[in-house]
Amino acid sequence: MRTFTRLVWKEMRELLRPQYILPLLFVPIVFIALGQGFGGLDEAASEPPEVGIVNEDDDRYGDLVEATFNESGEVVYRSEGGNHERALNETVDQGGTALIVIPENFTERIESGQAPGQVQLYTVVDAVSLTDIASTGQVENVLQTAETQITVNATGASPQQLDPVETSYTTDVKGTRIDQSPGTLSGAFTSQFIFIPVIIMLVIIFSGQMVINSMGMEKENKTLETLLTMPVKRRTIVAAKLVGSAAIGLLAAGIMTVALREYQSGITGGEGSSLPDVFALGIADYAIVGVAIFFAVVGALALALVLGIFAGDRQGAQLLLFPLSILAIAPAFATMFADFSTLSLPFKALLFAIPFTHPVIAPKQLMFGDPMLVYLGIAYEAVFAVAAIGLAVYVFNSDRVITGNAGRLGRWLSKLQR
Amino acid sequence: MADSVVTVDGLRKRYGDVQALDGVTFDVQRGEIFGLVGPNGAGKSTTLRIISTLLGADDGTVTVCGADVEDHPNEARGALRYVPEEAGAYENFTGRQYLDFIASFYADDTGPMVDRGVEVANLGDRIDSKTSEYSKGMTRKLLLAAGVMTEPQLAILDEPTSGLDVRNARQIRDVVKDFPGADRSVILSSHNMLEVEYLCDRVGLLDEGRIVDVGTPAELLDSYGTENLEDAFLEATA
Repeated sequence: MRTFTRLVWKEMRELLRPQYILPLLFVPIVFIALGQGFGGLDEAASEPPEVGIVNEDDDRYGDLVEATFNESGEVVYRSEGGNHERALNETVDQGGTALIVIPENFTERIESGQAPGQVQLYTVVDAVSLTDIASTGQVENVLQTAETQITVNATGASPQQLDPVETSYTTDVKGTRIDQSPGTLSGAFTSQFIFIPVIIMLVIIFSGQMVINSMGMEKENKTLETLLTMPVKRRTIVAAKLVGSAAIGLLAAGIMTVALREYQSGITGGEGSSLPDVFALGIADYAIVGVAIFFAVVGALALALVLGIFAGDRQGAQLLLFPLSILAIAPAFATMFADFSTLSLPFKALLFAIPFTHPVIAPKQLMFGDPMLVYLGIAYEAVFAVAAIGLAVYVFNSDRVITGNAGRLGRWLSKLQR
Repeated sequence: MADSVVTVDGLRKRYGDVQALDGVTFDVQRGEIFGLVGPNGAGKSTTLRIISTLLGADDGTVTVCGADVEDHPNEARGALRYVPEEAGAYENFTGRQYLDFIASFYADDTGPMVDRGVEVANLGDRIDSKTSEYSKGMTRKLLLAAGVMTEPQLAILDEPTSGLDVRNARQIRDVVKDFPGADRSVILSSHNMLEVEYLCDRVGLLDEGRIVDVGTPAELLDSYGTENLEDAFLEATA
């Protein structure tokens, strides 16, 4: 046991070098920064606008517009006439970003019913960024509110009359009726069905990358031969490589998950997209998904270890990650845009044969009360993982771990590396 | 043969179309330094790798301290330490941590073994630097120290001084020369005939996968009537 823990410690220590960890940290930092940026956008858009008002109308609807801005915004400059250019400069000096000019015939035109009352809006954009432009859009929202108030006053209509039709939604989702619009449900499902596959894909790719890197380093630094002559069973070395690499891979995936959640939260304003209760997963469902992810990661690591044996160095190791990445990405994307149950039989068979498909489709299958495919998938994943570990131990016990000779597969991989 | 620490008998190994070893036979006695010499591609590294349990043989047998390397590889590994040609150390380890890592496979209390390794490596304060900052000579001294600090019954050294400057090569040779004892033997490969003549008690001349002669340096010089081992090798393989 002590030998095993020392080997695991060695693996983790070697993989925690800056050249491996910094790129893994860089991507999550970018996602968190993007999330913060989008969050700031919402914040800027919800701030009350600071405006100046030149009310030349001096009548009830002009006063109504001014009152609406007093209530929903912050009026930093006010006048009843004069030079508009000077008024705009005064507004900007007071920290405002827009000037609303209400002309003298504003109320008269509305009351005549012949022409709309006109308002002149001057906007100052000093910095061209999403945040700055979003904050100026808030002025138009307040104007929209004023417009509604004027309509209610001018027509005598009630708010209900202005919005006279209310739709009551019932949507049938795979036999289950939900009192929500298809659009709302689509948003919630899309959020779940994109997020979960992407996370699983990242776990597989990061873990695979770690173990392939580990083998690439051993080959490049020529440390593998020394390691393999230690008085320890080869299967112990294989197990230590899998556990050490998995620990770092899962850590990287965990950081990435938090970063993606931050990013998503930034985009949705922290509200998320909650699914109806009928589709919520229980603890047992999450445990089943966890088992599916576990076998997928173990299988991916063992497969990556076998691939890594044939890497001459770290660069070669990175290239050998490509086939594994394709296997991880394909089911994630396929199930994002299509429901597994609606695919044609050949596509179903193809996706089923990829062991990384099963944790991706498991949440959806469990959500809609169709767990049989999940159980079959987990059984298949377990068989695949055991076979991949067996292959890794077999290759570690053969000359191939030293010579890197992979026969026909080797010739194919050499072409891929070139 | 009863005092042999290594017996190699009829060893054959083929890589694709190349017959790397073609019936290699020799033995290494307890307490001696045995040298394998030969040109590039003669089969030196392949022989050492088979003895070290890294490669399997197509035919023939190898025993290390009585353990057949094919049937009982872990037993053989417990008795030997292998220092490959141009090997490196784990770059995120300091020299001391690397010695401790290796020692942990052989002892629960690694302290005395590591102290011995530090002394053999003779790297001064740099023993606590990351191995990624080491020169080739420093790395080789560290690996050799890691190889001998566990006091294995058999130290296998593949080209131990290849590519090193005079000073580093001399230090390595001194360590190798001092290592053998009643229960400690060395088998090394080298291109450097002078080095082999200086270090080895017996020498095996290897050419095209076959041992063409075995003897002490003096016996080989006498047998071929030459003044140095290089000429003896050329005579033997002519």
